[in-house]
Amino acid sequence: MKKTSFHILRVGLAITFLWIGVLIFKQPEAWGGYLMPWAAGLLPVPIEQAMMGTAVLDVIIGALLLYDFFVWFAALVGVIHLIIVLAVSGITDITVRDIGILAAAIALMADSLPENFINKIRHKIFRRSS
Amino acid sequence: MTSFALLFTLSSIGISETVYLIQKRIASEKPVCPIGDNCEIVLESKYNKIFIIPNDVLGLLTYIVISFIAAFLVIEIEPIFLWIFIIKILIGIASVISLFFTYLQWRVIRAWCFWCLMSAFTIWLMAITILMSGTI
Repeated sequence: MKKTSFHILRVGLAITFLWIGVLIFKQPEAWGGYLMPWAAGLLPVPIEQAMMGTAVLDVIIGALLLYDFFVWFAALVGVIHLIIVLAVSGITDITVRDIGILAAAIALMADSLPENFINKIRHKIFRRSS
Repeated sequence: MTSFALLFTLSSIGISETVYLIQKRIASEKPVCPIGDNCEIVLESKYNKIFIIPNDVLGLLTYIVISFIAAFLVIEIEPIFLWIFIIKILIGIASVISLFFTYLQWRVIRAWCFWCLMSAFTIWLMAITILMSGTI
């Protein structure tokens, strides 16, 4: 990815994660309403606390992306987080937006993964297949 | 709410700009200058510090404080009136300083720095947001 486009994507995604985190802090119960009943039943803590935890995670991901610090790790956690969000919230009117954010996070992760991390994964796959 | 969202977004953009400039300064690398090629003339001039603190660090601290206050205002953390007062004062002072730095580039240094101008426009946009907002 070209350097400029990478940074535009990084900052844009950072603002998205940070802003969602702030909005969840404002109304955790309302955001908890997006959870499917089966997913809400699995929570070991009250839904409000779980959403507060989600808000903290969103803010941390956003801050790491914004400060250009461990971008690959923040993007990786963001990807896992968004996959979980898509799984537990079901198909709604805003699912398409989550898919767009997920694609952006995957692009950022793919472009910022450290070389030795990729080599380790390649090595493990190679060892398993041989 | 819309004005807080704008202030938060603009301060985040400001944070990313200043972090980039600090990273380049620490690494002793020239920043990319998308428009013009005089960035380093301005960034390495004698006006790049206020007392002993580099302008990029001051800018970063200002943007961080503004982003936190914008977030506090959205979440409605008390005392609201105090946050509004601080954010108005901070953006007002930053606007005047940005105006002074733009004048320095234009008349004294006689070179333009893309990142400095972008930071100035970010601050002025915040000031316009506050002036046009009915909620703040």
